[in-house]
Amino acid sequence: MTTTAILLALPDRRRWVGMAVPFIAVAGALAIGLVLIAASGKSVPDAIEAFLDGAFGTAFAVGASINRAVALSLVGLGFILAFRANLTNVGGEGQIAIGGIVATAIGLWPPIADLPLGLAVVLPLLGGTLGGALWGGIAGVMKVRFGTNEVISTLLLGFIALLLVYWCVQSTALLRQPQTSSATLPESLPIAESVKLPGLTGSPESPLHIGLVICLLLAVATAVVLQRSTFGLRLRAIGLNELAARRAGMPGGILLVVALALAGGFGGLAGAIMLQGEQYYLKTGFSSGYGFDGLVVGLLSRGSAVGVLAGALFFGFLRSGGISMEIMAGVPAALTLVIQGLIVIAVAGSVILVERLERGGR
Amino acid sequence: MTQSATLEPPLLALDGLGKRFGSLQALEGVSLGVRAGTVQCLLGENGAGKSTLCNLIFGVYEPSAGHMTFGGAPWAPASPAVALERGIAMVHQHFSLVPRMTVVENLMLGQVKGMLHRHEFGARIRDIAERFGFALDPDAVVGELSVGERQRAEIVKCLMRDPRLLVLDEPTAVLPPGEIGALLDICRRVADSGRAVILVTHKLAEIARVADRVAVLRGGRLVADEGMAGADMSTLVHAMVGREVKPLDVALAEPDGPAAGQPATGDAGGPRRFALVCDGLSVKDRHGAVRLDNLTLEIRPGEIVGLAGVEGNGQSELGMVLAGLLRPTEGRFYMGDVELTHAGAAAVTAAGGGIVPEDRHAVACVTAMSVAENMYLNKLGRFTRFGLLQRRALNAAAQAQMRTFDVRAASPEVAFSGLSGGNQQKAVLARELTLDPLVALVAAQPTRGLDVSAVEAVYRQIRAAARRGVGVLLISSELDELIAVADRIAVLYRGRLVGERPAEPAERAAIGALMSGQVVSGQSVSGHAA
Amino acid sequence: MEETLAIFIASTLRLGMPLMLAASGELVSERAGVLNLSLEGMMLTAAFFGALGSWATGNPYLGVSCAVLSALCVAAVQAWLSVDLRANQLVVGIGFNILALGATTLLYRIIFGGLSREEIPGLPKLAVDGLSNLPFAGTAFFQQSVIVYVGLALIVLIWVILNHTSFGLAVRAVGDEPLSADKAGIPVARTRRLAVLVAGVMAGLAGAFISIADIHTFTENMTNGAGYLALAAVIFGGWNIGRTIAACLLFGAATALQFQLPAMGIVVPTAFLLMLPYLLALLAVAGVVGRLEPPTALTLPFRRGK
Repeated sequence: MTTTAILLALPDRRRWVGMAVPFIAVAGALAIGLVLIAASGKSVPDAIEAFLDGAFGTAFAVGASINRAVALSLVGLGFILAFRANLTNVGGEGQIAIGGIVATAIGLWPPIADLPLGLAVVLPLLGGTLGGALWGGIAGVMKVRFGTNEVISTLLLGFIALLLVYWCVQSTALLRQPQTSSATLPESLPIAESVKLPGLTGSPESPLHIGLVICLLLAVATAVVLQRSTFGLRLRAIGLNELAARRAGMPGGILLVVALALAGGFGGLAGAIMLQGEQYYLKTGFSSGYGFDGLVVGLLSRGSAVGVLAGALFFGFLRSGGISMEIMAGVPAALTLVIQGLIVIAVAGSVILVERLERGGR
Repeated sequence: MTQSATLEPPLLALDGLGKRFGSLQALEGVSLGVRAGTVQCLLGENGAGKSTLCNLIFGVYEPSAGHMTFGGAPWAPASPAVALERGIAMVHQHFSLVPRMTVVENLMLGQVKGMLHRHEFGARIRDIAERFGFALDPDAVVGELSVGERQRAEIVKCLMRDPRLLVLDEPTAVLPPGEIGALLDICRRVADSGRAVILVTHKLAEIARVADRVAVLRGGRLVADEGMAGADMSTLVHAMVGREVKPLDVALAEPDGPAAGQPATGDAGGPRRFALVCDGLSVKDRHGAVRLDNLTLEIRPGEIVGLAGVEGNGQSELGMVLAGLLRPTEGRFYMGDVELTHAGAAAVTAAGGGIVPEDRHAVACVTAMSVAENMYLNKLGRFTRFGLLQRRALNAAAQAQMRTFDVRAASPEVAFSGLSGGNQQKAVLARELTLDPLVALVAAQPTRGLDVSAVEAVYRQIRAAARRGVGVLLISSELDELIAVADRIAVLYRGRLVGERPAEPAERAAIGALMSGQVVSGQSVSGHAA
Repeated sequence: MEETLAIFIASTLRLGMPLMLAASGELVSERAGVLNLSLEGMMLTAAFFGALGSWATGNPYLGVSCAVLSALCVAAVQAWLSVDLRANQLVVGIGFNILALGATTLLYRIIFGGLSREEIPGLPKLAVDGLSNLPFAGTAFFQQSVIVYVGLALIVLIWVILNHTSFGLAVRAVGDEPLSADKAGIPVARTRRLAVLVAGVMAGLAGAFISIADIHTFTENMTNGAGYLALAAVIFGGWNIGRTIAACLLFGAATALQFQLPAMGIVVPTAFLLMLPYLLALLAVAGVVGRLEPPTALTLPFRRGK
């Protein structure tokens, strides 16, 4: 964790070098992945072709990949905001879930669909964000009041939130669609057209939605807050030396709660966007690992918003490509998971190399 | 005090010992002999070289010059583990105990293999404790023990290795007054059992009860080495705290304003307002020990009041309370007319309280951030527009500030940690002195670790502030500096104000005596200048 | 009614068993300061390789050995990464969980292909002579598989080691005050590595229990969050082995109630029962259910001179 703090203080040149190491690790993991594909008897060139096709071959593919990257980015951005104050938010998965629940609830409320001026889209988004912020805020309050380690509290809250989704879609009193037959799935009704996120490109082929715009705007905002704003500086102070920060008049407790609430809010927004942009209805497993992936993206980005976007794009394309490899080349999607797991582990382990680089360069 | 056979050769002999760290000469030409069966006291202020000397004896460092003999044979341990095996044990100031485990578990850590036999081990612990005259419950959880009890656990940990020489590093520094006697008794008994004891400290008065010999270190050199029997307290204090800084007195005596001692507000019949008022401040620590006891003090605008005292007598706690970071158990304090007892650090700053704390790295600054950021840490709002920090303006202002206060750094954007201690202190001072409004300034050990020119600079700024009408509380153990700068000096001993004298060279002996806990006639306990 | 209760107790033990096994191992690791989010991954890996071994050799005991070995491998890499390379323990844990899910699913499809739900040789239920015929207690307690008895013995062993041996002392010191432990001559890194390996062994047994002893097959993502439940149990148990075991039984009971309550006509939302363990753990760390302190150095890598 101190590595990131040190890296944030280094001049940019060394930071780029530091960022290169993870990419080397990634390349290594990918190489192993190709070996595994070959070992499983599938054609490697076919697999690669299918992967590239699925990742960015068609307009549809690119759009879908970017949409995925949007959700990952948001979680990652929220993570680095909280991390600035030395807080580790592990509850992204749950915050997405809460965002999905609130957005679904608002989105399905009958009067919403007829609201003018795009409020039908905005209100569920806002609701999801607030829900996630509240969820993150709980962990913040627990840290300030009880000194609870936020890794543990956000993790537990995450699981609780995932089960809340399960609860909501199991009960028709909550969000489950009316059971017309015994085969009715435990899911919510789909949201109305007017609640869905409008597409970015005019063509119906590309699923790319305005989530991208929101994400880019927030990425810029996050970068500005972290690098240029006084609030960002205060977060940094609180994270580095809480006592001195309080001595300098900073409201320590409030800053910590706000930091975690921000992280939660970003996660909630990601959940709302996932609902209104792609899935359109709530079901168990709604968050499908985006929370954990976003956490990894956040950690690997070393506190840089650009890094988050880059990492999120990478993982987004990875997911899309993996699905395509399964359909087109018969490579199991599970292999994508294997490669992803290897990448995460490789990068995590390469941190010490980065540290040695810094120390050697001093 | 037992008179050991002076004809015996010393158990530990240091001959011309020196240690250099880069450009810093921590020790030079130290020659000392410690005999078995005696308690040797090692006195000296912070930075005098006591810890370095202990670390050399205990094998943490290697000497740069000179040599040591132990038990007649050359002594050059490669590591503390080796030193322990060969018969020297050390009780450090910072304990290395695991709070969640019991005493017996802590002592078994690393010493026992296989199954734990708590009963047997506990019995051994009890035996050793009894032999040296105290009680220690082996099954007590360390986290629940008082500091004194924990220290005794550490002592037993050492004694279990059956050392011939026991070194205790500042053992009384962490003890509340009530427990010091017990510790000293233990030291006496250890010595009486035929071992040698080295007691490192800067608290003088209690040592008189138990020491056989006293050696004083100052600036890395041995400046006194005598038997306790004929020693004179005040001389020892002077040897310990006296600085060779004659130039300081000269520099500060410059006629660049009204002479020290005249408050800027010339109210004849009692001041309208006080800059800082402490009213019955008391602080008890976690274990219920009294750290600050009913402290009452009033400082008028423009006055510089010195609070003298050897470290560990409550200064840190007072500093934390006045900074708004620690709640006193009793009492109140005001700055200007604003009560700030429970108000918190932000309120203290808002009310015009500038604080230069003694441990700046822990409390005053964020070392990883830049000089400019640190200097304006409490005024960031001034450089904020639309939530964004105006870095150029911040850096420019910091640059100007740095010039005014002679803070030397490559640029305001370098990391604060890159500055020398003196410049860091000047930067913190700059930040606090430019508070607006500034009503009171509390500076704790402001010149610790600074070279002479930095010391002069710091005091020049403090006096300038006083001339502007700020009330200054100068907490320091550097008596000469206090005498040169302050108007009057109150003495803090064991958390209590034990006396007050005018800040004149003639009073040095009396103040020194008060600092070492002696009662001096003619003292005034009120807060007003005579 | 008695019958129902007996079945309920048996179910609780059965469902709680993998939790107890995994949690007691994880407890050792966390007491030493290493948090294994990868517990889920270790259990899943063990479940798969255990099933594979049992199926391939026809011998369930060899299967259990495979399970433990495979979990040990994962634990060894985790230990190396977290302790020696000082990698972020959370990231490594998440990485392993993803890897394990992918790898076991992949290998399962490759090896077993379309043969889903293939029955593998399972561990027999050990009927303790005489005792298992007792009217109530027999059904409830004494008709469990071999792993249960071995597992319980191991858990007791862990308790003994943690509280009555020098290794246990070292583990506890290293997790709270690694600096002090280092000064006392304890090899911090080696102790932590061993602790993680212990977690691996127990997770291996837990995984083996699920596939070989309990369900006699392997299905994708078989563990389905049991690893996270075990983590929650350690938290709720306040890092104390007795309370952790109790927590595991409690969580097992909650899971058993899922099936029991509807059978008894009581309607409680399943989700609530599933959520209960995590809620309890959350309340515990908030200090609502008594003051709980995690080991001071948990998740913090150790560096001398810090």
